Amino acid sequence: MIDASTKDVAVLNPSPFAALRLDNPFVPEKDWLQDIQVNQLKAFLHRGFPTQKEELWKYTDVTGLAKQSYIWPKRNLESFQQKIKLEKAISIVFVNGYFSPEFSNLTALPENVICTTISDAIIQHEDRIKPYLINKMDLNRHPFAVLNGALMTDGVFILIPKNVFISVPIHFYYYNTQQTEFLTAPRNIILAEAHSEVTFIEEYTSDNEAKYFTNAVTEIHAEENARVNHYKLQAENPSATHIANIFIKQKQNSVVKSFNLSIGGRLAREDVHVLQQETGAECYLQGFYHLTRDQQHIDNHVHVDHCAMHGVSSMLYKGIMRKKSHAVFNGKVFVHKNAQHIQAHQANHNLLLSFDAEVDTKPELEIYADDVKCTHGATVGQLDSEALFYLRARGIDKDQAMALLTHAFADEVMNQIKDEEIKNYVKQRASHVEE
Amino acid sequence: MLVIKNLQASIQDEKQKTKSILRGINLTVKPGEVHAIMGPNGSGKSTLANVLAGREDYQIDGGTVELEDKNLLTLSPEERAAAGLFLAFQYPVEIPGVNNMYFLKAAVNSIRKQRNLSQLDAIDFLKIIKEKIKEVGMDEKFLSRAVNEGFSGGEKKRNEILQMLMLEPRLAILDETDSGLDIDALQMVAKGVNSLRDPNRSIIVVTHYQRLLDYIVPDFVHVMVKGQIIKSGDKELALELEAKGYGWLESSI
Repeated sequence: MIDASTKDVAVLNPSPFAALRLDNPFVPEKDWLQDIQVNQLKAFLHRGFPTQKEELWKYTDVTGLAKQSYIWPKRNLESFQQKIKLEKAISIVFVNGYFSPEFSNLTALPENVICTTISDAIIQHEDRIKPYLINKMDLNRHPFAVLNGALMTDGVFILIPKNVFISVPIHFYYYNTQQTEFLTAPRNIILAEAHSEVTFIEEYTSDNEAKYFTNAVTEIHAEENARVNHYKLQAENPSATHIANIFIKQKQNSVVKSFNLSIGGRLAREDVHVLQQETGAECYLQGFYHLTRDQQHIDNHVHVDHCAMHGVSSMLYKGIMRKKSHAVFNGKVFVHKNAQHIQAHQANHNLLLSFDAEVDTKPELEIYADDVKCTHGATVGQLDSEALFYLRARGIDKDQAMALLTHAFADEVMNQIKDEEIKNYVKQRASHVEE
Repeated sequence: MLVIKNLQASIQDEKQKTKSILRGINLTVKPGEVHAIMGPNGSGKSTLANVLAGREDYQIDGGTVELEDKNLLTLSPEERAAAGLFLAFQYPVEIPGVNNMYFLKAAVNSIRKQRNLSQLDAIDFLKIIKEKIKEVGMDEKFLSRAVNEGFSGGEKKRNEILQMLMLEPRLAILDETDSGLDIDALQMVAKGVNSLRDPNRSIIVVTHYQRLLDYIVPDFVHVMVKGQIIKSGDKELALELEAKGYGWLESSI
């Protein structure tokens, strides 16, 4: 097996990832897994990194990633302090990609729920996880998800059995400390069986300055009547690259809420792809991005496929851009033939706070059914000068008045979070932006 | 209190053409006085009110304005507010997402801070505001809503008066506060304004109609036409204007 893969890599050279896969320290050795990794890496390298000639990458240049070379991070046993913490949570902590049992706390986990690392699940629950790991991702559309399959590091596997309701949120905390460049490819798989409910938060952050590359994939499978509340918090360091693909698959009458906060990184690209496969599914997708630095680039691509009748989707993304930053939003609702009685709304609102900031926003609808209710809209604006004058005329100084108005702008989307503790946590997270 | 000398201001229109609006305003308001400024549409009344409050859309072309010996024209809008100037807006702005109570508290404490006074805590603030909101006849539920958002015209004006009562200005300028008000709201607004009348406070009422002046009785009435004050008198002048209109004055210039 080792020989075969060495040969494969030799054929594929030069590749920035050639050295990586041979000694992946994260996942256990399994023949089927190695086969997949070899094939996915081959497939990715054959396709190549996406370029700006591709419509889905028109405004985001990732070719720089092809010019770097990557190594695995080292295991770090130093302790660290989480600046802010959720009071009550099941927490699963990864430091530089490695699961850290000493910082994790799973005591509140109900017994019948499987919640473990991907690497553990490959050994303990091989039959359960294998179908998801061998499942092929769309190479053209989600090349980085395929790359994640090739180079998968560790992540979280959760299985909530039928009728189980977990009241405590599960917090995946990916924290990087290593000062030299490296790559991680976290994979999270959440299986919510029929009539189950779960809330989880995936968070990516660091205290280092390394130009690391996070290439994450999260899969959410919501079975019949399942309810999943998902929060994704991207607060990587100002040099980092963060690329994430979130796949949400919905069965009948399931409800998925996904909130996406993106404030970190030099370059971030977040794809959310919802597939409503059965009738009556509902998804609520919200996002807030705040770009505060020169050259910071954050791209959100949100795509909903309505494949069945009576589906609901609602998209609200808002962003604030400062300095010479660049944000991209692309929201797409695709209503397939025969998916009648769909209700789909999408909105994207942007606030430009500097002359040099830029945003490209594109809301799209593609509808092949004839009895649907769809709306979409996008705005790009500045702070309301009338409101600003009004506040100042009441004695509130200019900086405070601007802060009040920008908070008000963000609050519209923040207030969609109904859980007070999580809302406060997300708001605190959002206010820790690096200028 | 307020001394305006030969104030001239202009604005750039959409075609970047400069349009002169105030053409040499002279006005002196002493402590305790109530002045009414009347005039036809487009005469510059609201511009004067906004220029005094520090709106940046206007270009000051000449003249001086002193508020209690401070050179008003060099101050930012927030510094003018701290110096004691208050403008009740003709069209109060709706600010979605900013809670009215939070806004009022921020305003009161910003002004207190600039005046080197201690900050009001939540309890003290609540006590005062509950008292004042009764005076303007506003329902307390408006405090928990966003500033002016979805308020009726009357509620917006009451909210302006509430802010005025909370901020206790030295000089209050009411810019067409009577427009769009029914008689009950008008009386309530007048009551609020009259409760502020005191020998150390001055009030300028900008209005189109004499009606408001039945309730807020002015010491002086000025007529503004084409950016100038062309006639001044006592409250009888307002009645005369009501009877004769502005035409006879406009033709005299």
